[in-house]
Amino acid sequence: MEISVQCYGVTRRLAGADFVTVSVDAGATVADVLNALAQRGDDFAQVLKQCAIALGDELVRRTHRLKSGDEIALLPPVAGG
Amino acid sequence: MNTPDFLRIQDAPLSLDTMLAGNAREDCGALAIFSGTVRNHHDSKPVTHLIYTAHASLGDKMIRAIEQEMRDKYHVPVCQVVHRIGQLGIGESAIIAVVRAPHRAEAFAALKAVVDAVKHRVPIWKEEFYSDGTHAFVTGCCIAEDAEEPHAHDDHDHSHHHRHAREGGHPETVQTAGSGFPPSRK
Repeated sequence: MEISVQCYGVTRRLAGADFVTVSVDAGATVADVLNALAQRGDDFAQVLKQCAIALGDELVRRTHRLKSGDEIALLPPVAGG
Repeated sequence: MNTPDFLRIQDAPLSLDTMLAGNAREDCGALAIFSGTVRNHHDSKPVTHLIYTAHASLGDKMIRAIEQEMRDKYHVPVCQVVHRIGQLGIGESAIIAVVRAPHRAEAFAALKAVVDAVKHRVPIWKEEFYSDGTHAFVTGCCIAEDAEEPHAHDDHDHSHHHRHAREGGHPETVQTAGSGFPPSRK
């Protein structure tokens, strides 16, 4: 199944795009998507370890099971103000 | 009394007047206001401007939750924050926080706490642009409860407990982009 991933902050730069699409097996979790994204490079993999994940307007854990068509967001360490 | 609502994350210049409109209270003797403005340097490096980005819908929801948390914790009837996104020049206001309370002690305490919480818990990112043409994201706080590497550091005020990003050589920034970031890979 395809999962759309919206990139924020430094992950947007590392991905080179606002959105990327990841193909994972049915029943995959957030962690599975992150593992697939980590293949894009060591720098990306390192930042992913510190990302929170949002599904819509909710933060979800890495164990959250996704369904086809879900769109998640990568939230690297934050720095407002 | 109907207090006008407003988005907590905005891409237009912030208005203190809008925030204060309609929330005056006769039982409050203190009005505490904080405005964080863009400064022209960072670690002795001249800064020309900043770009803030955010997960706006989640950020709006989280700021409202933090406001409620602080109203409850400090027993202040009014606590509101707005954060700007987009490109900001030197001197522009990036964040405004307003607290009204019966007395100044709880007003000051709530004001500091709410600003700290928004800075460290809301999905907002700050990228600094320097006069030499380089730019970098400011190292922030990890907000994932189940992060694999919630490495800690001490580059800013800490009166709280949370997780921070792992960082490289620079004490407060990651990914200087002047020479380009790694390209996207298929």
